[in-house]
Amino acid sequence: MLIDKGYTKVRPLAGGLDGWIDAGYPADIIDLA
Amino acid sequence: MGAVWLAWERGRPARSGKRRQLRQERRAGRPRSQYHSPVTQLVHYVLVYGVSLIFINVLLEQLGAPVPAVPALIVAGALSRDGKLSSTNILLAALAASLIADYMWFLLGRRYGYRILRTLCRISLSPDSCVRDTEARFERWGLKSLLIAKFIPGFSTVAPPLAGASGSSSIAFLIYDGIGAMVWAGSAVAAGRAFHHAIDRLLSALENLGGWALVVIASLLVILIAVKWAQRIHFLKKMRLARIQPAELKEMFDRGEFPVVLDVRTAGARKHNPRAIPNAILAHMDDVATQLGHLPPHQEVVLYCT
Repeated sequence: MLIDKGYTKVRPLAGGLDGWIDAGYPADIIDLA
Repeated sequence: MGAVWLAWERGRPARSGKRRQLRQERRAGRPRSQYHSPVTQLVHYVLVYGVSLIFINVLLEQLGAPVPAVPALIVAGALSRDGKLSSTNILLAALAASLIADYMWFLLGRRYGYRILRTLCRISLSPDSCVRDTEARFERWGLKSLLIAKFIPGFSTVAPPLAGASGSSSIAFLIYDGIGAMVWAGSAVAAGRAFHHAIDRLLSALENLGGWALVVIASLLVILIAVKWAQRIHFLKKMRLARIQPAELKEMFDRGEFPVVLDVRTAGARKHNPRAIPNAILAHMDDVATQLGHLPPHQEVVLYCT
């Protein structure tokens, strides 16, 4: 969808959020309210 | 179903005279009786073990194995039209198998959360049914999606663990899933009953092919799985080439480069895990392009879901 809009440098993160957290990198707590 | 059934009945030698009849046929140079045609034997097994076969077939399919149960349900429905099998027993077997397999996935979803979905998608032969699409569908319709889940390829196996991961109650899950299973199996059985003449002709044609019928059926199954597998390999290869590794993204942050990071998880997934990569923008996949409207097209964008 983004590529269709002209964005050429779009990459999904391998492993998603779980992959990031499993690698031991920091994560913020989001305010769902 | 009449022709194949009659062929089985006509060709079936009396138990005591079976060997004698086969010897006589061999001496006379005649082909073996139709009882030995693979399709007739198959019908025989369906008649004798029908309900058990349906149970095993549906159970395997719902557990995720690439063995479609609809054809067996349709044939069983056609057989039930002639009173050879009981429609009620077929439906009960399909319902029991569905509930067992789906409840197992439901419990795994409840135990392991959204991670089980990733495992499922990894083994799934339908790469198009990604977790995010499934989540979005489930979020839109809730447990009601279970009523039609079995009619949507890919969604059928993913919906139960998703229901578990989203914290749905067991009773509500079993009610919706049970109704969905009955509608799905009932439709296939009803189709078999409605088109039993056509199914009989198809089985007769396969019977005329003799041993080749099994070769044709097995070949079609192998081709189907091979095509799905090739699509999956192609999809994964494409994704692997395009993906950014967490370590690479972290290095970019450390170097002071800050790509736009989009969190495109569904609301349910965020509620389940209320964490995010620092400075990520919480976006909805449907209008992500609008949200990024102010950014230049050469801007590096990294997006992630569960």
